[in-house]
Amino acid sequence: MKISLPEVRHDQAGFEALVQLFARTQDCLLGKIEIDMVKTSWFDGDMCAAFGALLYRLGSNLNNVVLSNIQTPVERILSKNGFLSNYGRVRIPDTWGTTIPYQRFDVKDDRFFASYIEQEFVQRPEMPKMSKGLIKKFRESVFEIFSNSVLHSRTELGIFSCGQYFPKRHRLDFAVADLGIGMKRNVNESLGLNLTAPAAIEWATSARNTTKTGSIPGGLGLKLLREFITLNKGRLQIVSDNGYWCLDQGNAVTAALPFEFPGTIVGVEINTADKRSYALSSEVDETDIF
Amino acid sequence: MSKTLTISLLEIVGSPLCVASEDGQKVHDRISGAMREGKMVVVSFLNVTSLTSAFLNAAIGQLYGEFSADEIREKLRVHDIQPDDRGLLKRVVETAKEYFKDPERFKRAKRVAMG
Repeated sequence: MKISLPEVRHDQAGFEALVQLFARTQDCLLGKIEIDMVKTSWFDGDMCAAFGALLYRLGSNLNNVVLSNIQTPVERILSKNGFLSNYGRVRIPDTWGTTIPYQRFDVKDDRFFASYIEQEFVQRPEMPKMSKGLIKKFRESVFEIFSNSVLHSRTELGIFSCGQYFPKRHRLDFAVADLGIGMKRNVNESLGLNLTAPAAIEWATSARNTTKTGSIPGGLGLKLLREFITLNKGRLQIVSDNGYWCLDQGNAVTAALPFEFPGTIVGVEINTADKRSYALSSEVDETDIF
Repeated sequence: MSKTLTISLLEIVGSPLCVASEDGQKVHDRISGAMREGKMVVVSFLNVTSLTSAFLNAAIGQLYGEFSADEIREKLRVHDIQPDDRGLLKRVVETAKEYFKDPERFKRAKRVAMG
């Protein structure tokens, strides 16, 4: 089977291109799938998380995946972030340090993920000059996203991440994708409801809502992320099943994608020029916490 | 026998990154065990650089399913916690109190805690 992939940007159209790829390949077993990238004139590095998840799923169904006709600029960026190393290409050095490498994790890899963020972002001198408070918030945000996948996705195939820094635009994009049960099933099974995928995402990102039922409370991670992104004037995108949800400049929009993604993708875009001092945003006294 | 147990998050987690729910569970088990023995517990956040709600929910939020808010207020202290982390912990505590307002959840959590 040969499938042509259009350009993949980190926006609704980019996610539509990827779910279309999934729709065409989801039943493939023991086959050869050639993804022709001659028309892929652009590929945002952070979208490798979702793309990699789909290709990994194809591989788990014992398909042989080949990426062909990759245009040179796209090949360069996907080689720098280590994505193409998984598909027969040699990794090339990231001289300008604009990538956070593509990586797959298992659900038990919380600490490995934390070290990866430290080594590949926080401690790298070539990464954007961000205020200390902003770096801390970014780091905590991506940990919250990862924890969310660990706690809710029930994925057996792993969690995938990748990031890209755009220095001229002062934007840092980072995405985490899992191949789990998705928010719709999670929310509907927990609440006995029949929400659509976009409505389930909206529910999960709203205040105090949680699907947790055990002895450990939950329901804060996505809300904290939403609050931070709003203050930072960044962007937060979530795709789960056929639901698309985007928070941009404080406004949330939802849409139904034409096909499903077999899990959940959370993508954040941070405004790295943000000078807000997040460290001073709280004045809670130590004796007044409990 | 000392009446106060001091717990260093850095020591238990083995890293300044307190992010994993599983690590939070280890912290919880020590706090809970000591409180059940009637001890005062001081949790030291010294040298912790990152926290998540997932970690704090497991470490501290979960306690509200086993102990009353009054008991926790009386027996638990935190030290050397950065101002913004204090804000996060306060949010986790408020969320936990709300979560365990549901008596069924509280009963279930209590049963689990008592084994």
